Amino acid sequence: MVESFAIIYVLGAIIAATIILMSLAFLFKALKRAKAIGMDKKVVTEAIKNSAIFSIVPSIPIVIGVGIMMQFVGLAIPWIRLTVIGALQYEILALSNAGAAVIGADEVTIATAVVVMTISIISGPLFNAIFYKKYQTKLLELQQKNERKMNAITGALLGGMLAGIMSSLIVGGIFGIGNPVTDASGITTYGEITLITLAASVVLTGICGVILLVGKQKWIESYTLPISILGALAVAFLFVPVFA
Amino acid sequence: MKKFDILTTATTREGHNNQMHFLGRCFTWASLILICLVPIAYCIAAGVMPDWKTLGACMSFVAGYWVIGLIEAFSYAPLLGTGGQYLSFITGNVANLKLPASLNAQTVAKVEQGSEEQEIISTISIAVSSIVTTIIIAIGLIPLAIFQTEIVEVLKPISPYVVPAIFGGLTMALLAKYFKAVAIPFVLCIIICVVGNLLGFGSSLSQSTMIIVGMVLSGISTVIMYKLGKI
Repeated sequence: MVESFAIIYVLGAIIAATIILMSLAFLFKALKRAKAIGMDKKVVTEAIKNSAIFSIVPSIPIVIGVGIMMQFVGLAIPWIRLTVIGALQYEILALSNAGAAVIGADEVTIATAVVVMTISIISGPLFNAIFYKKYQTKLLELQQKNERKMNAITGALLGGMLAGIMSSLIVGGIFGIGNPVTDASGITTYGEITLITLAASVVLTGICGVILLVGKQKWIESYTLPISILGALAVAFLFVPVFA
Repeated sequence: MKKFDILTTATTREGHNNQMHFLGRCFTWASLILICLVPIAYCIAAGVMPDWKTLGACMSFVAGYWVIGLIEAFSYAPLLGTGGQYLSFITGNVANLKLPASLNAQTVAKVEQGSEEQEIISTISIAVSSIVTTIIIAIGLIPLAIFQTEIVEVLKPISPYVVPAIFGGLTMALLAKYFKAVAIPFVLCIIICVVGNLLGFGSSLSQSTMIIVGMVLSGISTVIMYKLGKI
């Protein structure tokens, strides 16, 4: 594995601490505001608990991403890249473009790749730092003037996101049957397992819904998504040896 | 309210919003500076300079991601809320982690769309999610440093299935509420994906591409339905 410089670990620790501080600052302000407008403490506590539990499983692939990238650029750089805005697929593409997605890349190539990875992803945060306040003020004005229109826009964006992801998963899964795809990071996706995982997640959510409505077990509502994610991944884990 | 009066609790929604913007901008600039220091620190520590020729050749890639970043920041903003937007675009993994975490918390909390309660729950869930993820990644460095690629080999095979595991359940939970908004773009996206795969460019229709395609199609269909008074 490529050795990482101590200064990069130090920078990584500062960045991770900044992100935690930023999150705590927003959390503190939101909790204060929730109290000020009289929100039910139970609802707020539930949101915290729920989001913490929900976030555990989807975080694991990010750690795997660090593991995949570390063979090319060492441990510290992927840690930083995947702690901030980066995502594995994008980082691997950036590495490939700079010629660093190979074991044994030299320091000039790695330096070039780190520059590419860094400058490619800063447009989103720059937009937020410069224009977001104005944009959000316009959105709030629209919300106040025409709530129906604003709700239609929000619904359209959310609906579009769900439609885009689900269509990609379903059609990609169907066309991937008997035709596994290996991406640049070396991860192989089997269409069969994608569809089985998707179906398992839907079925488990349905079962939780039945337990909630028929069995009147209200507690399960908060855990429905974590249960369906974990259960569906367990099913995927069982099927990997079958198709691999 | 004074701009720097950040420690007091705002008495109005607007005041609270201004505080969130102030915090968000400060932390975004600080994070951007730190992120940009990484390549500089690497070059100094390694005693090298980037290969400018390769860097120049990568500019089309960079430009492409600048456009994607701007589209994402623009289109996710109404869904994430003020605090969530600033946090999500520093910590990343918006579509596969931060937004689902926020939507799940909103569904459980049963908050009204566009309300201040929705905004607060979204900020809380994304802040908690960011803390959990940052800690898990940091803790994950220990087994990675010890076992190196062995641990990756064990977990790697199931990593492509996290997104279907999340979105199967999440779509079920949201479908009743957003059925009208999802139905038409979903059918159109399916057609695009099928045709794209049949024509041999299925690999270009990744989830991130299809999110943008889905949002555009959904926007068009919603405008038509809105004008017809169907929503």
